[in-house]
Amino acid sequence: MSELTPALLWLIPGAPLIASVFIAFFGKALLRGRSHVPCIAALAVSSACAGVMMLTFLASPSSLKQDTSLLSSGQIDGLQAEAEKHELKPLATTPGYDWSITDNLHVRLDLQVDSMTALMLCTITFVSLLVSIYASGYMHGDPGYPRFFAAFALFVFSMCMLVLADNYLTMFVFWEGVGLCSYLLIGFWFQKPSAAAAARKAFVVNRIGDFGFILGIFLIWKTFGTVKFSEVFDLVPSIAQTNPEVFTTICLLLFLGAMGKSAQFPLHVWLPDAMEGPTPVSALIHAATMVTAGVYMVARSTPLFVMSSTAQMVVSGIGAITALLAALTALTQYDLKRVLAYSTVSQLGYMFMALGAASVSPKLATFAVTAAMFHLFTHAFFKALLFLGAGSVMHSMGDVIDMRRFSGLRHVMPHTRLTFLIGSLALAGCPLLAGFWSKDEILVALFEGTKSGGHETFFTVILGVAVVTAFLTAFYSFRAYNMTFLGEERFPEEAHHPHESSPTMTLPLFALAGFSVVIGLFLGPTGVYARQLSQSTSLAGHGEHPHSWALMGLSAVIFAAGYGLARWMYVTAPAVPAKLESGLKPLHHLSLNKFFLDELFHYLLVVPVRVLALLCTLFDKYVLDGLLNFVGSMPSTIGRAVRPIQNGLVSNYAWIMLLGVVLFLIQMLRALAG
Amino acid sequence: MFQHLTSAISQILPEVVLLAAACVNLAVGPFLIGDDGTAPKGLQHRWGVWSLIALAIAGWLQCVPAPVVEATSLAPFLSDSLVSFVRLVTTVTGVVLVMIHWNQTTESDSAESHACLLFILAGTNLIALANDLVILFLALELVSIPTYLFLYVARRDRSGQEATLKYFLLSVFSSALVLYGFSFLYGVAGTTNLTALHQVFKNYEFNAMPAMLLVSIVAIVSGLAFRITAVPFHFYAPDVFQGTATSAAALLSFIPKVAGFIALIRILGQPSVTAATHLGYWSLAAKSGEMLFLLAIATMFVGNLLALLQKNLRRLLAYSSIAHAGYMLVGLSVAVSVPQINDDATSASAGSIGGLPALLFYLGVYGVTTLGVFALIASLSRPERPLETSDDLAGLSKTHPAGAFLAAVLLFGLTGLPPTAGFLGKLTLFLSAWNHGTDLGRRLAICLAINAAIAAWYYLRLIGVMYLQPSCDDTRRTTGVPAFVGVSLCAVASIALFFAPDWLWQALQRVGG
Repeated sequence: MSELTPALLWLIPGAPLIASVFIAFFGKALLRGRSHVPCIAALAVSSACAGVMMLTFLASPSSLKQDTSLLSSGQIDGLQAEAEKHELKPLATTPGYDWSITDNLHVRLDLQVDSMTALMLCTITFVSLLVSIYASGYMHGDPGYPRFFAAFALFVFSMCMLVLADNYLTMFVFWEGVGLCSYLLIGFWFQKPSAAAAARKAFVVNRIGDFGFILGIFLIWKTFGTVKFSEVFDLVPSIAQTNPEVFTTICLLLFLGAMGKSAQFPLHVWLPDAMEGPTPVSALIHAATMVTAGVYMVARSTPLFVMSSTAQMVVSGIGAITALLAALTALTQYDLKRVLAYSTVSQLGYMFMALGAASVSPKLATFAVTAAMFHLFTHAFFKALLFLGAGSVMHSMGDVIDMRRFSGLRHVMPHTRLTFLIGSLALAGCPLLAGFWSKDEILVALFEGTKSGGHETFFTVILGVAVVTAFLTAFYSFRAYNMTFLGEERFPEEAHHPHESSPTMTLPLFALAGFSVVIGLFLGPTGVYARQLSQSTSLAGHGEHPHSWALMGLSAVIFAAGYGLARWMYVTAPAVPAKLESGLKPLHHLSLNKFFLDELFHYLLVVPVRVLALLCTLFDKYVLDGLLNFVGSMPSTIGRAVRPIQNGLVSNYAWIMLLGVVLFLIQMLRALAG
Repeated sequence: MFQHLTSAISQILPEVVLLAAACVNLAVGPFLIGDDGTAPKGLQHRWGVWSLIALAIAGWLQCVPAPVVEATSLAPFLSDSLVSFVRLVTTVTGVVLVMIHWNQTTESDSAESHACLLFILAGTNLIALANDLVILFLALELVSIPTYLFLYVARRDRSGQEATLKYFLLSVFSSALVLYGFSFLYGVAGTTNLTALHQVFKNYEFNAMPAMLLVSIVAIVSGLAFRITAVPFHFYAPDVFQGTATSAAALLSFIPKVAGFIALIRILGQPSVTAATHLGYWSLAAKSGEMLFLLAIATMFVGNLLALLQKNLRRLLAYSSIAHAGYMLVGLSVAVSVPQINDDATSASAGSIGGLPALLFYLGVYGVTTLGVFALIASLSRPERPLETSDDLAGLSKTHPAGAFLAAVLLFGLTGLPPTAGFLGKLTLFLSAWNHGTDLGRRLAICLAINAAIAAWYYLRLIGVMYLQPSCDDTRRTTGVPAFVGVSLCAVASIALFFAPDWLWQALQRVGG
């Protein structure tokens, strides 16, 4: 990508950083209610740059060449793909910032772009642009308005740098950076104890994952002697001969990091609580972008993961457990945002299921990863849409989000209702909408796993879970939609005058809805997305691209079943849910209370750690403090002892100087003498 | 003869400009003052601008490459990369000093005090340029004598007079020591030319050294140790810093250190004669390393331990300046204990760095940081609302948020925390000592680390006072504009040098590996 100027690349993360610093310094004094202006402007610049970059990728000769062979793209054999791989490697690495601590001690910060990064960048910058426009309406009048946009822009910077990193260490730094921004934004209303607690929980749970991630990086460094993606991946074949067992350990450690960030069981408990943050934050960080960082990291590390089928099966298994558990929890939640949060967790589990299927065969690896990344891509749009719709409802209902307290909003909020319906259809997997195509690819990838690869039984179970989850997804999506927008018109008393949101909020909704409708159809079955992504350095060229009409039909049926059930239970026969509730009380209770995982964690982890902390405090207070106070008082005691020499008499000073000269002279002469 | 003179002058053109500007001050200044001793209002602004112009011209001339002179090693002046580094440092810090001094002087004294400042800056450059013991001594005195005047002119009350007198007496004593040492040096070598001198001493084994040479080294190092406020020659510093004007204290905290270290480098060896001949040597370094080692250890510990007890800000900064001299002495003692400066074997391994570049880097960084702190005091201190003790800082984050933020940045720099250049300065000094590969180096590195930890206590305490303690008077503080510009420059520079240390490394590149 020689035509890709480094300046353009630097502008993508650079513009939000500048905006963030600017708002942080001048927001409170100068900008106040206009604090969104620099943020939106910077994000517009970023997304324009990302778009230009994407176009240069699209226009690169390699993909033109592939366009002519559109029909045969499914049958490219491995050899041809291998041969083309070398010319099909549009990779831009900008000579980055070189921090020379000394003449020969350098720290380099390079940016790397390949097609995977480019696709991620487009998603991040574009969704965040729309969300920031929405937020300028949603956050209007909040006392922390400048603080919100400063943190928001900082998040976009960190997220862009995360995907632009050319090595694991830089990735980790910005991995922590997005974690920090997430912490700041979950706890944005830090006066609320629940928000502060949620922020802390998110931070602490993420630490567990990050611990694994950094250990994984250490192990990569120790094994490969480098943490640079390209160098590590080049070394994979040689390490595979000498030390094949190490891959499982590395991959499991990396996956632990991904589990924390992408909220996978059992580290998913922080994400539903994170809904305490402002809704635009939930939409951008906790649905569209940051939580997918784990998926991106595992996809980026595909060359490592394909070396260990054990690790792959763990990835798939954890993904399946998460998807099912979260979907079951979402069935009974009454908080609209929590339904969406559990749905996010469940969909992330879906992506990991697909990533795990990469172990089936080397030829299928690319396809499985593509399926996961494509689902990530479509999910970013429709889930952000759903969250923003929920925020619009919340805005109108006076910050009430409990679905039992309002219903029938279809007349009051027609725009929100329409867009929310589109989002729900996309999430539920309605044929032709975005979610349908990406979910179908995942199912195909899993189906391939049931046919070959040596773990047929395992993948049959996983596929079953995926199908059940798809059904549950359709059901709870429309349960939420029906409860909110259909039925008799009711408002909570907090809603003083229920109204449709302002255009700054509804326009982003329509934009996202438009994308949710078209991107799946245009990019999925045509293979455009897959072809783009296959040029990534992390993937071994274009592999098989299987289709299955049967599965497509199956997912359409599943969607119809879920939709119909929700329609029947919440519109046609509204008495049914209550009956079911009392009939299946224990199960309902289990789901409503999130399978008591929080409580389990509390007694298994939090209480023992608290006891340990108490013991440490006692030790610290009575043993260490005494010791430290003694050591700490030494310097001042010595200082006091020396002080009287400094008595202000100039003749004294001169005498001491002379004494010093004489002492040095004696010492030198003694050294000379022997 | 005449030809020699012109070639010599062409070497020192920037300094000639500074000296000429100072002479203009002295010649014109008295005529601008009325018969009754009153000066027109705002006269100090005019002289301030004049000084800035002079510095700008000198700075511009530095960038113009001097005419290549036939490398007569016997010339009185020798221009090498060390010189260009010193010129860069004095020009930048000179600008900051002018800013600090701007409102510290009265109208009637402004001409003289600015003249003194320019003399001092020119003298510092000449120390680096000197290739002759006589020139070197004259340059040292060109720094010292205007300093006495500057101290006196800047503040004339009782405590100011006491401070000036103390500095004068002890400084004269130290000059005498240096001169004494020079005379012995001449006695042994038979020449005053430094290049020739180093040629003579180059091949001396330590044990074969005449005892007279040792006496001379001890005297010179001791005399110059006074300038860099090394223990036990440091006693004047706290008293003088506290008693004199802020601008004078700022000057004393930095310029004499440059003078002292550069003079020591010139006396102890010839790091690199020109850019072309890279190999330098420390001809007089043998065993002076041990003396510098003791000086470094004593200076670091005494400075930091006594700083812990200080309440008065300027006294605290005096001890802090002593402690920083100790850190820099670490670099020097590591540098001189390698006979060959540009030893390729040591500079090749990643992360290793010579003591000399580390010292010079630290010198530049320290100058920017310490002058920034003094500039802040000068900017915010008012007779009716002084900034004298650490208690006066209480609540500064409320009464002057921008000042408190900049002060925090600068104090972070002095502590040696990222993201300020102070961190890189300490890191490079530590690396240079630790990777030196000798017990001496490792001991110095450990002492450096311990002292950096002690120092953190009193610097960070000041930040705590600014941000956490409530102020008894919540009205906003007023700002002295020129000095505040100086503060901002320093704070920006100390952060910029963290992210782009290359700017300073480039200037150092040829000084030594």
